[in-house]
Amino acid sequence: MASSQSDEPAPEEREIDITTSTEPGSDVLWVRTGSEQEMDLPSSPSSSGYAGEGGGSTSATTGSLIEIEHDEEVEQEQMRIQNQIDEISISDSNTSWIPGKRHQDEDDGSISWRKRKKHFFILSNSGKPIYSRYGDEHKLAGFSATLQAIVSFVENGGDSVKLVRAGKHQVVFLVKGPIYLVCISSTEEPYESLRGQLELIYGQMLVILTKSINKCFEKNPKFDMTPLLGGTDTVFSSLIHSFSWNPATFLHAYTCLPLSYATRQAAGAVLQDTADSGVLFATLMCRHKVISLVGAQKASLHPDDMLLLANFVMSSESFRTSESFSPVCLPRYNPSAFLYAYIHYFDADTYLMLLTTNSDAFYHLKDCRLRIETVLLKSNVLSEVQRSLLDGGMHVEDLPTIPQYRTSHLGQHTLPSDSPESFKEANHDIGGPAGLWHFIYRSIYLDQYVSSEFSSPISTRQQQKKLYRAYQKLFTSMHDKGIGPHRTQFRRDENYVLLCWVTQDFELYAAFDPLADKALAIKTCNRVCQWIKDVENEIFLLGASPFSW
Amino acid sequence: MPSRRRTLLKVIILGDSGVGKTSLMNQYVNKKFSNQYKATIGADFLTKEVQFEDRLFTLQIWDTAGQERFQSLGVAFYRGADCCVLVYDVNSVKSFDNLNNWREEFLIQANPSDPENFPFVVIGNKIDIDGGNSRVVSEKKARAWCAAKGNIPYFETSAKEGINVEEAFQTIAKDALKSGEEEELYLPDTIDVGNSSQPRSTGCEC
Ligand SMILES: Nc1nc2c(ncn2[C@@H]2O[C@H](COP(=O)(O)OP(=O)(O)O)[C@@H](O)[C@H]2O)c(=O)[nH]1
Ligand SMILES: [Mg+2]
Repeated sequence: MASSQSDEPAPEEREIDITTSTEPGSDVLWVRTGSEQEMDLPSSPSSSGYAGEGGGSTSATTGSLIEIEHDEEVEQEQMRIQNQIDEISISDSNTSWIPGKRHQDEDDGSISWRKRKKHFFILSNSGKPIYSRYGDEHKLAGFSATLQAIVSFVENGGDSVKLVRAGKHQVVFLVKGPIYLVCISSTEEPYESLRGQLELIYGQMLVILTKSINKCFEKNPKFDMTPLLGGTDTVFSSLIHSFSWNPATFLHAYTCLPLSYATRQAAGAVLQDTADSGVLFATLMCRHKVISLVGAQKASLHPDDMLLLANFVMSSESFRTSESFSPVCLPRYNPSAFLYAYIHYFDADTYLMLLTTNSDAFYHLKDCRLRIETVLLKSNVLSEVQRSLLDGGMHVEDLPTIPQYRTSHLGQHTLPSDSPESFKEANHDIGGPAGLWHFIYRSIYLDQYVSSEFSSPISTRQQQKKLYRAYQKLFTSMHDKGIGPHRTQFRRDENYVLLCWVTQDFELYAAFDPLADKALAIKTCNRVCQWIKDVENEIFLLGASPFSW
Repeated sequence: MPSRRRTLLKVIILGDSGVGKTSLMNQYVNKKFSNQYKATIGADFLTKEVQFEDRLFTLQIWDTAGQERFQSLGVAFYRGADCCVLVYDVNSVKSFDNLNNWREEFLIQANPSDPENFPFVVIGNKIDIDGGNSRVVSEKKARAWCAAKGNIPYFETSAKEGINVEEAFQTIAKDALKSGEEEELYLPDTIDVGNSSQPRSTGCEC
């Protein structure tokens, strides 16, 4: 259904313009390396070997492959209504999104369940359900067994299943020892994105439990880990929600709250004192953005770990109400062991996380927090944070008009331009100069990105989600193996002009008005890069970085 | 957070093709019986929620074909089973003799931690046929076998008439529950303090 009111409208892309490359010989950009095994799902149940003798009209929850498919013609109307309901419930800003499992009453027999655009499942290798985004895990036990049967069937053939296409659905599998993760999606996101999302869900599970669960399954294949995950539904649902609004989920980078250099320095200095007293990582966060971050000698914090940790903390209501000391695992740091996190909220948005290896450190960390709090208040960091929240980040409308080219930095990275004639402002009524609507800049060395605020043409949640999906697709295509650095891509469809520029130092993703002039758009991208260079002290965490390179 | 913990139990049903496994399962789950014989071609799964002594749990029932195709599932089919139901047809000696093979096959493949005490249930099905006149395996013989194999609970059923099916599954659920009872403390490692050789990543490898 290409209906415009669907939850995730099918992208109807027309590539009008050519893709360009600054490097000769690398202009084939849309190549797929066929490393993943794809298999087509037989549409007839009898040919699958697992469909069972479909007792026909049973309303009970039988699991069989045909359940993945569904009748397109039936219940179109019902689905449209359902989509509208979904849209209503997730519209507006992220803050209005209510975490937690919805549609708990559904199972694989429900039409509404089958029509959901994106399912996520976690199950054990004995076919026992662990988590489902929609519906009740226990009612989905038959479905979960079917998924396990598919994985095992392929594994017994000495192979592994990664992707199954069933009509417009993609079924993506990720096997992590005794844990199977599955995504069933009709969102047309690239396989690589969906797989990355499954990796994050697995990582989130490790944050809560560590890889030690594998040992439990080795000792006892009957092991049921759902009790260990009790009450964490909101953690997973908020992570899944972030796949559609948080670019960190596909950029594998973190972002900072914009602050004056001095303010961030002040925060960093007091965190550094703490780190010197035996804390492994000290981070001050505002929602999902970093204010400052300090690591003990040689310890480095991976952006994915930061994302998962912040999601864990922000989606668990209990952390907000009082200071906490909780075991957490950082999967990229050490997936098999717990660290301990001291967590304290200074206000509704700003929180401190102190990570230690010492399970007895609570009182010490509480003292550290008191000291930190005093300094933060004295140096006005907390009020600056609130002010920055109000002001927002970079607005495309504020892009400086006079580019101050400094050959030192931009000289080697200037985008090739078709028409080198002088600047002509084509300032559309909305958005920034030359029809610039939005951009994301990712610094490769810093592992950080900065994303502009959304301008008026992309003010609704739906439009924003759609743009992120488009970026994601672009990101995937740019990160296809075997293609060197220094690449650009220019795409025009009826929704936007998308421009992507990847160098060894940074990646820039920009969205323009679909009618934007190509040469002007390229020039504008250069100006964005210059602008970022000019304000990097305020938008990035520089210098005292915990990353070990 | 649900105050009352729910349990999921994996139950697998084994036995020769045609003894009535699928019929038993359908009778139990849907309370209905289809007379049409269809060889099960792969694996099929049914779930049923059961309340037992103030606890809610879900039976995840795995059904197979008799001999051939399910072999393709191998270990995966048996892995993590909480209970194994062995079914034969009281009107077929061969299906009874094969119980031993099914039991052994299960123990090898599932490799349960305590094979002696793994919960099995044996069902002699199709007692309705011919008013019991074509029966060739006596209840006594069946019970003797069950006793020899560690006192396996035994039931005689008719999937067609719905005789004893509920009772048999009640026991299946109870035994499965019992075997899954042992709770263990979950204690993962903690990273050693002052250890400088921690695995670490240097940023994004994507
Ligand atoms: N008379 C009678 N027929 C039965 C009974 N149970 C199953 N059947 C029939 O036996 C045949 C095989 O049953 P089915 O459930 O497919 O056996 P399975 O291969 O073990 O799954 C079918 O024709 C059923 O209708 C029973 O209790 N009584
Ligand atoms: Mg059968």
